[in-house]
Amino acid sequence: MNVDSGLNLMAACYGAGALSALLARWSGRLALSVGHLATLAGAVVGLGVSLSVLLGVPGRTLTQPLPALFPFARLSLSVDGLSAYFLLVISLVAVAAAVYGPAYLRTYSPDAGPARQATQVLALNVFVGCMAFLCCAGDAMTFLLFWEGMTLASYVLVVSDDRDGENARAGLLYMVMAHGGTALLLVAFLVLTERAGAFDFAALRAAAGDLDGTTRTTLFFLALVGFGTKAGVVPLHVWLPRAHPAAPSHVSALMSGVMLKVAIYGLLRFAFDILAPVAGPLPSSWGWTVLVVGTTSAVLGVLYALQQHDIKRLLAFHSVENIGIILIGVGLAMILWRREGVGGVLATVALTAALLHTLNHAAFKGLLFLGAGSVISRTHVRNMEELGGLARRMPWTAGLFLLGAVAISALPPLNGFVSEWLTFQALLGGAGRFHGPAGLVIVFSAAMLALTGGLAAACFAKAFGVTFLGRPRTAHAEHATEAPPSMIVGMAWLGALCVALGVAPGYAMRLLDAPTAGLLHGPGASAVVTARGPMVLSAGLTASGTAATAISMTMVTALLIALTAIAWVLRRGSRRGPPRAAPTWACGMSPTSRFDYTATAFAKPLRFVFATLYRPRREVIRETAGTPYVVRRIHYAGEVVDLAETQIYHRVQRGISSLSQSIRARSTGRIHGYIGFVLAALFVALLLFGVDQ
Amino acid sequence: MTGERSLGLLLFEMTFLVLLGPLVTGIIQKIKARIQCRQGAGVLQPYRDLAKLFRKGTVQADTASGLFRLIPVLVLAATVAAGALIPVVRAGPPSFPLGDALLLLGLLALARFLTAVGALDAGGAFGGMGASREMTLAPLVEPVLMMVVFSTAVAAGTTELGALAAQRGTSWVLAWHAADFLGFAAMLVLLPAETGRIPVDNPDTHLELTMLHEGMLLEHSGPGLGCMLLASHTRQIVTLGLVSALFFPIGPANGADAAGLLLGVGAFAAKILVLASYLALVESSYAKLRLFRVPQFLGIGFVCALTALALRIL
Repeated sequence: MNVDSGLNLMAACYGAGALSALLARWSGRLALSVGHLATLAGAVVGLGVSLSVLLGVPGRTLTQPLPALFPFARLSLSVDGLSAYFLLVISLVAVAAAVYGPAYLRTYSPDAGPARQATQVLALNVFVGCMAFLCCAGDAMTFLLFWEGMTLASYVLVVSDDRDGENARAGLLYMVMAHGGTALLLVAFLVLTERAGAFDFAALRAAAGDLDGTTRTTLFFLALVGFGTKAGVVPLHVWLPRAHPAAPSHVSALMSGVMLKVAIYGLLRFAFDILAPVAGPLPSSWGWTVLVVGTTSAVLGVLYALQQHDIKRLLAFHSVENIGIILIGVGLAMILWRREGVGGVLATVALTAALLHTLNHAAFKGLLFLGAGSVISRTHVRNMEELGGLARRMPWTAGLFLLGAVAISALPPLNGFVSEWLTFQALLGGAGRFHGPAGLVIVFSAAMLALTGGLAAACFAKAFGVTFLGRPRTAHAEHATEAPPSMIVGMAWLGALCVALGVAPGYAMRLLDAPTAGLLHGPGASAVVTARGPMVLSAGLTASGTAATAISMTMVTALLIALTAIAWVLRRGSRRGPPRAAPTWACGMSPTSRFDYTATAFAKPLRFVFATLYRPRREVIRETAGTPYVVRRIHYAGEVVDLAETQIYHRVQRGISSLSQSIRARSTGRIHGYIGFVLAALFVALLLFGVDQ
Repeated sequence: MTGERSLGLLLFEMTFLVLLGPLVTGIIQKIKARIQCRQGAGVLQPYRDLAKLFRKGTVQADTASGLFRLIPVLVLAATVAAGALIPVVRAGPPSFPLGDALLLLGLLALARFLTAVGALDAGGAFGGMGASREMTLAPLVEPVLMMVVFSTAVAAGTTELGALAAQRGTSWVLAWHAADFLGFAAMLVLLPAETGRIPVDNPDTHLELTMLHEGMLLEHSGPGLGCMLLASHTRQIVTLGLVSALFFPIGPANGADAAGLLLGVGAFAAKILVLASYLALVESSYAKLRLFRVPQFLGIGFVCALTALALRIL
């Protein structure tokens, strides 16, 4: 596909989708269908564009000027390997969301008026379109415009379903945090554009070449905080577990699976492409900070996810975890890149791991959010404790959710394992190169990554088991039925991706060639990671690459399938006939749904083990009838705090409150006083800045 | 230096592990019985139990979903596939890429995850309790196990077990560094946890106060239970095999001829026997720890593994 016409077509699709909101004047359902169809078309075109760039001639940047909206900045689009790769990630999930969306919105809120449906269609197309074009931005102005468009559109989607005030509060927090981050990004970009005198990335790259070390590092940390806010790294993650669950589920899938990745794209583009020194390695503080932040996010994200009972909130916390895993790879790549004698091909392995995990996380997190959405659209319950027994009622949804759960827990043979395996190989190689404390940090990071994988498995055993297995705990779950086919198709698309990327990851390396080679100016992913055919992964840990570790997911999967077949024969046993059904053993009592293990109970041992981090609060109130031996009812309340919230945000909040209190004392309410303040401020400003001219 | 291992040899090793697995359990039971001044059942008792189970019919909880019947099959397949990654009779990488130590741990984790999911399926409190406890301890064991693997892999530059074993050569303990001793000490702490034995778990009882793994098997019956038991026998010998591959790599078997093969099998059996008697000894001489004491116990392993790694890197 011609990239220029592809981009035009993509813009036309998303534009038409946004305009289809007007159809809601006649029929809300029509607007929903047409709008999502346009998103689907845009995503398919996006897939075509990205694949044609990724599989085309490597190292080619395609630039297209845009209409001149501003007198001071030329807007342009530019597609290189990295852009195309993220466009691919966005489009893959957008396809699923567009297929899934209409049926979900209709079943979840059948009473929604055309106004809300129009808003959702408009915002969805603007949201996906902004993300897609953000990755193709060729200059800082275009980048920031689309960045802001993405934030605003996703805000609209977050608050679009405002049944109670909760979503509005979540949206407000999201807005404040997102714009705080954007402000830092603005500063970082504007410092560069002012020096360059232009907005396009090539000029910024040239301007960044003359920066001194301190400015360079300051700009990097501004961008890291800015992008980190959007990506939801600890401790900037507090908006994420509130805002993501509030949006409609297919939008949650997009926000968690894709929007966070756009921040990763921004970070990679800014650090490796624009801000990096012309020659020589990146300042070592960058990579180590990113590595430590990534490790912290991974561990804390999964630990907090474990204690959530709201299924979408749990998934949102897992996004924090996975962004952490991606950042471990990114940080390691930053540390190793261009470092003589230590780096070599290892930086490529690390970046490959990070980028592959980006794609993988988009696939399985998208799948899990859509699965959760199916459950929610049928039961209108997000609390896992009120679900249960859904596997018998929604077998397809349950099966696909289990697939996603295995993938996100980094278990073979699915895709989550592959990217974590690569991350481990990169970490292990890095540890072998660095001696002393640096090596220990890397090794500790590897141990924490292993802990993260184990905890994720525990968390998803809980999430899947409590939601889908056992007996239904409420009537909502009792009467649930399977989701409509279009929703299952949307999930199955992502499920197939999880399997394909897990079983034949070598093919994905081909897609990663252009971004890794373009960003690191070195060998591409498939030159380093795959050897001996596309089915084999291998990562060279030694400088010469002689003792490369090679695994073949395809062979292992084949072995697993063969062994499953043999075990199935064994399992059928010598006696034919269906199994005899009997009640579950409950010590002689007749079991009810109250016998099932709850999510709170399941996670309790881990709450004990990690009590230092959770600071669990537990309150039991007994109502007795005169004597303590007759208990009428017991009220139990338990809570786990988010350390970042209590230790950082609440303090900041208290600080702001007390500051406003003290300002309040000065605000008298008389207009003369305010005019006086303004005059005084003007006078001081003139004295300070205006006198010497 | 040893050469590469062919597909036939891998399949032979895998089958050998699966067939030998119940015997190891039988031997451990026998040693325990002798220490307790009992006669005990014969060492072949686990085989008889399995044969009995595979002949029986199935009773299934009426609340369980369709997944429940599939769980034992998948668990057994994943565990046995992990067995294919252990070098048994010869060191050296396989002649074609298959999997490494990380994949082995991943497959064991998959089996454990599926077991826990299956335990929740029947909807009883016992299954849930077992699953919850097992999934609490698993995330604490796995990182330490991985660090022990790393502590040998950092030196060798590979995580492929056969290649690791080949690099280490045949000099065994004489060539050990301090890091190896510490790593092995960590492994000794982890072994009871990973094989589900005292002081972490008690394989002999379904009592709710002590159980972890057994609680999850409560609702399985007949051939399904047989698959689960065979899987746990296999898991045990795979874990022991991992220790012997990391620390006592394949001894004398260099030749591909029958004599070399036989020697390799004999050496492996001897190593497994030593490790099995260690497990039996620990199980006879300690009481089971309270669940919330286990993290402290595993902490010893963590400190050993971390120190081992630090010694390798510094």
